[in-house]
Amino acid sequence: MKRSKRFEKLEKMPINSDGFSYEWVDVGLVTMESPNDPNPSIRIENGRIAEMDGKERKDFDSLDKFIADYGINVAEAERSMGIDSLAIARMLVDIHVSRQEIVKICSGCTPAKLVEVINHLNVVEMMMAQMKMRARKNPANQAHATNLDDNPVLIAADAAEEALRGFAEVETTCALARYAPFNAIALMLGAQTGRAGVLNQCSMEEATELELGMRGFTSYAETLSVYGTETVLIDGGDTAYSKAFLASAYASRGIKIRFTSGTGSEVLMGNAEQKSMLYLEVRCLFLTKACGVQGIQNGSINAIPLVAALPNGFRAIAAENLIASMLNIEVAAGNDTAFTHSDFRRGVKLAMQFMPGTDYITSGFGGIPNLDNVFAGSNEDCDDYDDFYVLQRDMKVDGGIKPIKEEDAIAVRNMAAKVCQTVFRHLGLPEITDEEVEAATYAYCYTDMPPRNKAEDMKAATDMMERGITGFDIVKGLHENGFEEIAERVMNMLKQRVIGDYLHTSSVLDENFKVMSAINNQNDYMGPGTGYRLSDERWAELKEKFNALKPQDI
Amino acid sequence: MEKLNANTDYPLYEKHPELIKTQTGKSIDEINMENILSGKVMPSDCRISAETLVYQAEIQESFGNPAIGANFRRAAEMTRIPDDRIIQIYNRMRPHVSTKEELLAIAEELETQYDAKINAALLRETAEVYEERKMFRVD
Repeated sequence: MKRSKRFEKLEKMPINSDGFSYEWVDVGLVTMESPNDPNPSIRIENGRIAEMDGKERKDFDSLDKFIADYGINVAEAERSMGIDSLAIARMLVDIHVSRQEIVKICSGCTPAKLVEVINHLNVVEMMMAQMKMRARKNPANQAHATNLDDNPVLIAADAAEEALRGFAEVETTCALARYAPFNAIALMLGAQTGRAGVLNQCSMEEATELELGMRGFTSYAETLSVYGTETVLIDGGDTAYSKAFLASAYASRGIKIRFTSGTGSEVLMGNAEQKSMLYLEVRCLFLTKACGVQGIQNGSINAIPLVAALPNGFRAIAAENLIASMLNIEVAAGNDTAFTHSDFRRGVKLAMQFMPGTDYITSGFGGIPNLDNVFAGSNEDCDDYDDFYVLQRDMKVDGGIKPIKEEDAIAVRNMAAKVCQTVFRHLGLPEITDEEVEAATYAYCYTDMPPRNKAEDMKAATDMMERGITGFDIVKGLHENGFEEIAERVMNMLKQRVIGDYLHTSSVLDENFKVMSAINNQNDYMGPGTGYRLSDERWAELKEKFNALKPQDI
Repeated sequence: MEKLNANTDYPLYEKHPELIKTQTGKSIDEINMENILSGKVMPSDCRISAETLVYQAEIQESFGNPAIGANFRRAAEMTRIPDDRIIQIYNRMRPHVSTKEELLAIAEELETQYDAKINAALLRETAEVYEERKMFRVD
């Protein structure tokens, strides 16, 4: 065939480097509305659920049973299940129906019922509903700080810059697992240097995460994965019951957690029971609720290349975020995995959570170059800051971060690197040189850093844990070496874990360590003039564009 | 004392700081720089108490989230269990790791050693479900 020059050009566009697939129900390659998704149903006998979504209690697997026993409000169930799904769908976009009323109805719904509700919505309706149903009134954002070399000085500097930009949470992980204690400490120090009260976590396997939290090196944990089929949950090394115990273990040490799930993960793990990805994800959300866990990180997460390859991919992801909010769960909404070669496409993906706002719009934004992102690369990274800011400015939308001046970023990065250097010295860890401090201050990525002796670092990290070092040692080290204010901040973070106010739904801390959660910052959106509106002060921050033309320049 | 309420008693630290004690019975504001530097408060003081977790549970229960309340009540009991033992128990609860007898023994331990009745009940229920679903270790 003689080729069309336009079609030839189109083939070479970035979008056509992405992978796409037709639906394939038999293996669960369907985002929404699999013909095998169950129809909603409920039967209650003696105050207990005897049938749920077409399955009799005797046929329940462990996940069904846990959801039926702990995840559904039996007192509301018959009323909720009796309301037509289309009617509930309409309430979601009806400004006269409050969030609280919908949360109450949803508390008595089964997984299949909420899926049926959501299937009625198009994406704009989902976004409208998300704006209303987000648990916390003020939106916020989260950032990743990692690098390929696990360089702790660079992590500290990056976290400080992210905190200064306004991220409410920062998250790190390791390329090499034995670096975890260093990365966790560096992240905490950097974050507290950038802005008091930023929450921090180090994503590792469950037991290590808990250990880091118990030591006072992290303030929350997020990488507690759940899956929507019993088989995959077991393959992941857990059951509903072990996860419930683990959740309480964290709370017993005053550490905030959220679970992680996402459409597509069951297919990737090879057992989707021919159900739609959304239906299985909704089971994860019910499991989260049943465990009494306040929040979820979802939005497909690292399965997004698969979900986005299928029809309805973005819509399914918007739906899973929304259903979490309908269940009154905090949502850290994904947008955290590179999945497309097309800038056009990744921007639109972000917009679906950015415009309505979620508790955390991304989970997280790579505050580092893509190549340094040990979480396989985010949908946004540090090269995108100005795009993000301009979109906030274009639309008067609060995406949770604000423009900063280069000199302020340099100053805070330098200070964080010095703070890290001081703490390392105080704890007897391998030296951080002045050359490293200088490099971290101005670095773009890990290749700008002098290489460290990794074997020595990892040995020292293990030794530090064996010596029983805790957050208290860090506080002392900071205070005794001229960083009184940072010492005070780290101490206040430790104090939060004794108070427990930040264990509640959708919590963040402001710069005075005042907690703001779904309880004292309830989303009260009921149409124009209500809900979250940018204050004049906030708008002044967000519309700042340092290189924009000023009237006096003309 | 009357149960706490989300609308009037939260955040606890602002509304009722006097109610917040560390696990060792110190008042929350004793966790301060002076006391840390002098060694008057230790890391072992910097732990949430069972009472505080029960207050936080009451707040969630009044807010219509009984499951979160239940989580905090399990957690309140767990404040009495050492760190290492908690991690061990969690690992024993993973699928295909323990036998029925082992899980029931843990339930017994939770109840008798740590006065953790809610958690003991969770372990017993876990044993029951694992039996139905064949999730015990097979030697």
